[in-house]
Amino acid sequence: MTSGATTGVPVPAEPAVRRRLRRRPPEPVRRALGQYVALVGYYLLIAVVLLLVTVLGVKGAADASARLVPFLLAAAGVVFVGRRVIPTRQRWALAVAVGSSLAVQLACYYILVQVVGGGATELDGNSAFFSVVLAAVGPILALPAMLNLLRARRWFNGERERQIRADEIGARPIADPLMGPARAATAALPAPTAAPTDRPVAAPSGTIEIGAIVPLPASAARDRSAAGPLLAVRDLRKHFPIHGGVLRRQIGTVYAVDGVTFDVMRGETFSLVGESGCGKTTLGRTVLQLTPPTSGRVVFDGYELEDVEPNDMRPLRRRMQIIFQDPFGSLNPRMPISDIIGEGLLSQGLTDRQARDKKVEDSLEIVGLRREYTRRYPHEFSGGQRQRIGVARALALSPDFIVADEPVSALDVSIQSQVLNLLYDLKRDLNLTYLFISHNLSVIQYFSDRVGVMYLGKLVEIGTVEQLYRNPRHPYTVALLSAIPEADPRRRRKRLILKGDLPSPAAPPAGCRFHTRCWLRERLGNPENCVTQEPEVRSLGDTGHQVACHWTEEISQTTVSEAAAESPAIVAAAVEDE
Amino acid sequence: MTAAAATTGASTPHSDGDRLLDVRNMQTRFHVMDGVVPAVDGVSFTLDRGRTLGIVGESGSGKSVTALTIMRLLDIPPAEIGAGSEAWFDGRDLLALSESEMRKVRGKDIAMIFQEPLTSLNPVFTVGAQIAEQVQTHLHVRAREAWSRVVEMLRLVGIPSPERRAKQYPHELSGGMRQRVMIAMALSCEPKLLIADEPTTALDVTVQAQILELLKTIQQRTGSALIMITHDLGVIAETVDDVIVMYAGQVVEQGSVADVLLEPRMPYTMGLIESIPTVEKRGGRLSAISGVVPSPFHLPPACRFEPRCPYAWDTCRDRMPDLSVTRDAERHARCHLHVAGAASRLEAAVSQHRQNMRVGRQLTDSV
Repeated sequence: MTSGATTGVPVPAEPAVRRRLRRRPPEPVRRALGQYVALVGYYLLIAVVLLLVTVLGVKGAADASARLVPFLLAAAGVVFVGRRVIPTRQRWALAVAVGSSLAVQLACYYILVQVVGGGATELDGNSAFFSVVLAAVGPILALPAMLNLLRARRWFNGERERQIRADEIGARPIADPLMGPARAATAALPAPTAAPTDRPVAAPSGTIEIGAIVPLPASAARDRSAAGPLLAVRDLRKHFPIHGGVLRRQIGTVYAVDGVTFDVMRGETFSLVGESGCGKTTLGRTVLQLTPPTSGRVVFDGYELEDVEPNDMRPLRRRMQIIFQDPFGSLNPRMPISDIIGEGLLSQGLTDRQARDKKVEDSLEIVGLRREYTRRYPHEFSGGQRQRIGVARALALSPDFIVADEPVSALDVSIQSQVLNLLYDLKRDLNLTYLFISHNLSVIQYFSDRVGVMYLGKLVEIGTVEQLYRNPRHPYTVALLSAIPEADPRRRRKRLILKGDLPSPAAPPAGCRFHTRCWLRERLGNPENCVTQEPEVRSLGDTGHQVACHWTEEISQTTVSEAAAESPAIVAAAVEDE
Repeated sequence: MTAAAATTGASTPHSDGDRLLDVRNMQTRFHVMDGVVPAVDGVSFTLDRGRTLGIVGESGSGKSVTALTIMRLLDIPPAEIGAGSEAWFDGRDLLALSESEMRKVRGKDIAMIFQEPLTSLNPVFTVGAQIAEQVQTHLHVRAREAWSRVVEMLRLVGIPSPERRAKQYPHELSGGMRQRVMIAMALSCEPKLLIADEPTTALDVTVQAQILELLKTIQQRTGSALIMITHDLGVIAETVDDVIVMYAGQVVEQGSVADVLLEPRMPYTMGLIESIPTVEKRGGRLSAISGVVPSPFHLPPACRFEPRCPYAWDTCRDRMPDLSVTRDAERHARCHLHVAGAASRLEAAVSQHRQNMRVGRQLTDSV
């Protein structure tokens, strides 16, 4: 059932029944919707005011409100219905909502004309003033919403600008079937319950196969033939606001991830390494859309995640899982293991308890725990076993892609190697793709294919393990590698020690972010452009080795060893000072 | 004769010569609700002046409790120090001192650096005041002299603009800075022995390199002895002369750092070293120690490592091995592989270890 994955033939014929992914409306449309809702709130407010005025007996107001109220109710009705329908992001529903809202605007104009023009005899100046002002404000308020819709007209035209933009990284048009051919192969397997449980309105054109969660036993078929990287990240940013002061206003921004671009190929282990606070965990979470990115693109298997509306994320989420760092904090102490692992299966639509428990037991077995453990609670397990449970939870949904966020750093050395072996075997047997996050350079060197080095929210160097460890091209990578404590006394060598600490990501240094601690800049006599100009990520030849440094050509065996010879002197100098 | 000597024989305590610390048969137990935890069970080692000793082991192996027992920082009860335990420091048995005498030793003659500098520093006093307090207590100097000593110490540990930093509170400093403050505090009274309990575990690798370099430099300049407690064999290899390996409250191997790391003689040490991922092991599985550390309530009756040991045989299940001298001089290992009749088994274990260290090398070479 490997669906001819190895032949390299491009995607075979698509299976027949697939739900289509609906696209989330772009930002201007979403904003316009909000503005229309605010508008209706305004009308309702007027209605209340007018009714109050009527009660208080202001002359003529009763008449004016009597004319307005039906229109107000109609507008409220339209938007109420619109709000119920629009979340499904059906284009016609949105069009109806917007159109009727515009109709309401016209109606207001009509009243205006009626009141000021023909019907003037019935009303005195007081009511005319009310009506004119109140009705005229509405269209003015509606103006930004309409402008926003105008900005998004290409979306209404059905133009897929994303698709064009995405071509370079092999993105598929978002309306393509969700599942690749590998799913077609697995669809034939007995699906426990093919139950699309979410809202009936959500599946207008076919059924989704979320029930067909692949049974876990090894060598599950994976689609390797598809072109392009499994994950493509382009200029991704995640900024967190800092609130402070009496009014909790925003007083600053933490640039946790600030413009990161990389690809993760199918079946590859891509590692992120960096010091704490460099943004590697935030990057991992943002890639999975566990925190929404501030800007930038994440394309997973051809799907532009920004465009996928929240309900449609669910089948995609099944394919992307995460293993958390802290095996003690990431398991709910009040849940038995069957629920901890089974929760994901349940939310993916596997409602049959027995089938779910079976899967839970299967995945426990795969990570080397006993099947009987399902009724136990997390406190009954050791750290290494808990981390295995975390792995089992990720595997229960048979994902393609796993973000492993420091999976072994909380574990003892002897347990660490057990878990690393487990991850290694699973990758081989299930053909998984890992985004492996760690600060431990030895683990990364052992475990990964390619490595990205992060510093203060940016990737400063990307390369294969061989490229990076044998021939580092960024001064930070050089220092990082030099700082690894070596367990083999024969390899003891002069270390290159950096000055100072990581600067705050809320106030990153200008220009190259590393320039405040850079040993290379010091050796070169503090060149100007390190401070004034932010280095671009450059490719070094065709090797795929990328680096963001103005002076990478200056790094050589001699500069490094000279700097290393001096660097214990940094410490010594401080000592001499006394 | 360095840290390696197990204290058999020599029954009279001696402060002569180079011997600074002589721990003999130390036993520390904790009485908890579920029973008694033998956290440290018959640990003996010695340390000479100006030498560095590493204690390595996994969490729960008793390495921190050993240090806390020497410092007498454990609450009694629940802790209980066994009857035969002795810790001779400079001619005095620390475990027999009165509390007021001990208070004069603590901080003055023996100082300790803890793992998490933020929780070990008092958040409501400036770091300068915290160092000054110790200086005033032990050196009996005026406040002004103490303050100049504080600034001097902060400068010594490489903190820029120490006058200003001394007036700051712990939360205003970064993790590396705080650890430097802890080191400054520990060194302020020129202790003869410095105990560093996982001093860099909470730090990033570049800052760890700074702190390790600093500790080495300062240790060499002041000539104080250093006990480095860590689970990281890399840190051990970089900083110490001698090492003891602990497992389940016992010393299982001791010797010079080069000997122990390059030619381990106890299966547990072998396993620890094999499980470190290195470039040679790329492309293959790591050889991991199977199983988990035994629960302190249910320790194996004989050799404590036997259930996880790949080389165990009947003898290992019958009786506890002693920490005996191996065939290499100056080396001690707690393993039946070193008794006379097990030469062939030992050879097999050693060659298996060599092979495990090479796993995957061929693959890497072909890359």
